[in-house]
Amino acid sequence: MQTIRALDLGFAATARRLMKSALPFLVPIPLLWLVQATLANAPGFEYAFQNVNHIGIAIILAVSLNLVNGLTGQFSIGHAGFMAVGGYVSAVMVMNGPTDDPYRLFFLMSIAAGAGAAALAGWLVGKPSLRLRGDYLAIVTLGFGEIIRVAIENTPAFGGAIGLSPIPHRSDFGAIYFAAIATILIVNRLRNSTHGRAFLAVREDEVAAEAMGVDTTGYKVRAFVISAAFAGVAGALSGAFEGNLAPQSFTFVRSFEIVAMVVLGGMGSISGSVIAAIVLTLLPEALRSLPPINLGAVQIDLVNLRMVFYSLALIGLMLSRPRGLFGSTEAWDLIGNWWRKRRGVKSEEARKAAPDAGELLLDVRGATIRFGGLTAVSDFNLQIHPRELVALIGPNGAGKTTVFNLLTGVYQATEGSIRVAGRDTHGLKPSSIASLGVARTFQNIRLFRELSAFDNVRIGCHHLARESMLAAVEESGLAGIEEGFIAERAEQLLDVMGLAARRDVLAKNLPYGEQRRLEIARALATNPKVLLLDEPAAGTNTKEKTELMELIRKLRDRFGVAIVLIEHDMKLVMGVSERILVLDHGVTIAQGLPRAIQKDRKVIEAYLGEKYAREHAADIEAENAEETAHESLSPTPSKGERDSSGDAR
Amino acid sequence: MIELLQHIVDGLSLGAIYALIALGYTMVYGVLKLINFAHGDVFMLGAMMGYYASAKWSGEAQNPSFWGAALVGILSMAICGVVGFIIERVAYRPLRNAPRINSLITAIGVSFLLEYGGQNLFGPTPNPFGILPRREALNLGGLSLGYVDVIVFVVSIALMLILQRIVFHTRIGTAMRAVSWNAQVASLMGINTDFIISFTFVLGSVLAAAAGLLYASKYPSVHPLMGLMPGLKAFVAAVLGGIGNVPGAMLGGLLLGLAEQLVAGYWSSSWRDAVAFAMLIIILLVKPSGILGRSDAEKV
Repeated sequence: MQTIRALDLGFAATARRLMKSALPFLVPIPLLWLVQATLANAPGFEYAFQNVNHIGIAIILAVSLNLVNGLTGQFSIGHAGFMAVGGYVSAVMVMNGPTDDPYRLFFLMSIAAGAGAAALAGWLVGKPSLRLRGDYLAIVTLGFGEIIRVAIENTPAFGGAIGLSPIPHRSDFGAIYFAAIATILIVNRLRNSTHGRAFLAVREDEVAAEAMGVDTTGYKVRAFVISAAFAGVAGALSGAFEGNLAPQSFTFVRSFEIVAMVVLGGMGSISGSVIAAIVLTLLPEALRSLPPINLGAVQIDLVNLRMVFYSLALIGLMLSRPRGLFGSTEAWDLIGNWWRKRRGVKSEEARKAAPDAGELLLDVRGATIRFGGLTAVSDFNLQIHPRELVALIGPNGAGKTTVFNLLTGVYQATEGSIRVAGRDTHGLKPSSIASLGVARTFQNIRLFRELSAFDNVRIGCHHLARESMLAAVEESGLAGIEEGFIAERAEQLLDVMGLAARRDVLAKNLPYGEQRRLEIARALATNPKVLLLDEPAAGTNTKEKTELMELIRKLRDRFGVAIVLIEHDMKLVMGVSERILVLDHGVTIAQGLPRAIQKDRKVIEAYLGEKYAREHAADIEAENAEETAHESLSPTPSKGERDSSGDAR
Repeated sequence: MIELLQHIVDGLSLGAIYALIALGYTMVYGVLKLINFAHGDVFMLGAMMGYYASAKWSGEAQNPSFWGAALVGILSMAICGVVGFIIERVAYRPLRNAPRINSLITAIGVSFLLEYGGQNLFGPTPNPFGILPRREALNLGGLSLGYVDVIVFVVSIALMLILQRIVFHTRIGTAMRAVSWNAQVASLMGINTDFIISFTFVLGSVLAAAAGLLYASKYPSVHPLMGLMPGLKAFVAAVLGGIGNVPGAMLGGLLLGLAEQLVAGYWSSSWRDAVAFAMLIIILLVKPSGILGRSDAEKV
């Protein structure tokens, strides 16, 4: 393992680290102050700065909504509701607070309170609806936005339908742009951390994300709450800038404008959101200055047509460029890629200490699952020791993948117990089971298709990372070291799987065989004790199968993992596995050494039919008797009763 | 007692309208797994076309008659059917294999296009609506049953029976159900899925137009944003009954109408709009698949 740069916890070093992390937030302050002191209040600039400040608020809103709609792939259309919550809470505080506010400390507190209230509202709305698919969130947030507005209109303390006025003008160009820059920095730092990759994983494939140890609901709720808090900040700043708040300015039209910014800018692109915020804030101003269209009797103001423009743009963009104008790339990446050199890929042996051989990694006893009246798997037993190579075979529909789904927590067993490293997994989420050391691949490949090979593997490292979201935002030493460690580990794994050259290729663009190998690399990244491979050889040719056989052995030896393999290719199964379990109609019909399984009468019946087994019974038994006479091997007795071969032992 | 019965009657009348809208949501969700956000706006368009046909084009509104209303209704239902067909063809069909979120964004785009296009075309102010002749309310021993309510019951029950007949007892209904189970397999069985999906949209839009006309007769005014709230509430009704489930949408609509009316009658009418969303959050927490829906786990 590469030596890790030690973390100096001394006072001076800590201060230096904090300084380094805060620097990007502090650098713009003198400039903002200068502009505020000179231009912002200068005569003749009022209208310009009003627009500039509106842009700043729009940037906070669009970038924060992008965290939910772009990065996490959920769909919220009630951002204005959270903005209202933050704005009103802050305004009520400021209006009832001290008239004199030196250094605007009280205003700062009111912003924090507004953000907190918005975050709380976000949690209340998000928690129930985010457990389900994104469509529900859209409806619930739209409904929530309307309810909030109605609630404010009916609350005398919030000024009812007339609104609150006058709110002391405590926010200005400097405050708004400080917040906007902070929003961009924080969202960007989050995105580049292990948490950001978890958001992306949720967007790409929830089932695979869970299997990699990402708590999908938890991450959706977190994204939503953070985003709501920023909307609250925007509301507070907006109210204190305009000097008044009215419920009419927080209708779904406002929410829709923010959604349009995110979608047009590109879902997942922060710079895209910023640019779209600028354009869409200035657009109505530009339209306002144009003369109205005369249609005989009706006069249409172009400003009123802006919502029609937005909706047409949204539809047109979805039909032609579904990822938005910028896609998920960033303006600064486009410039950065231009001169950045690729780092050389380092490779070093990553051998782990083999776990104690006596320990039972996986202990399944009597696991049964029923779907309605159908018993898919019944009374399944499996004990896996460290570094074992076990194959699970059986005809189609025998319940093999269901067993994997039981082991990884995708399904809950109706009866029986499943223990991973001694711990009962009943009721655990797939992500928790992944952290216990069970990793898997999928029969129908489930990579995060829109992410690079490197990112796919890095998401596998998710649950190894301990950095908090705060540390990720701080970009402090610890988070940096962890990021370095994750990157290194991911590159090693890509190298082991022969994918080092494919590091930056999007998963969907890899050829089939490489996608399968990338899935294995991603599973290994979770640092599993048991690796479950679901038909890794499906769709590969003979040569690739031989390579795969080598690879599976190599993985076992190098990473010290136990491997459970579902496979139909008998040559591969017989060549690589040390023990075989045969399932048919959900029942374990045999288990034992490969050689014994090949001759087991029940297995032959299951695969070739009862008639064949009966007709060739004599041959099989003769052969069995001969084998047992010659060899002193004692195969593990199968669960099902054996006929003649049992006596011979 | 009479008061309670009165609320139940009013609630069922409102619920029947929600049920008609919810049917469109649920059928489209069934075949496309898409929440057709624009459905509430087709509902608005139905009422708006009724207004134009009766007040602007024919002058029927000056002298309303039953048969005139029927004619206006059929005309507006036909227009909405065509609009539904066009929406699906232009906006949703090209995105059928795209990620769900893209279809959702497009649906929202279509919805806002209808609302704000409507504001520019029809003007933002509410217009009075009246296509049914005015009659005295029936008095059944203290229980008052408005003429409009009678029409609402008769029309919505008739439409639901026809729909039930179509979905469960005709060839095309069988095809619709096949597409909703698995569109790919259905197409392998020789079903023209494009046609079935278009047909579903037309059917849903026609029902939405009927609901729009009934709603506008009950609360006599039309404006371009009138579809928003009833549309959202009908969606809640569809989720309540189990989205994708036709009898569920009817049940959900009636339950929601009752609940709203009872809350408005016994508590406070300003909380009427909150009922639907409170119900939605409770269903999502307790039984996300709805009362009559089945939950199916995603196949891994």
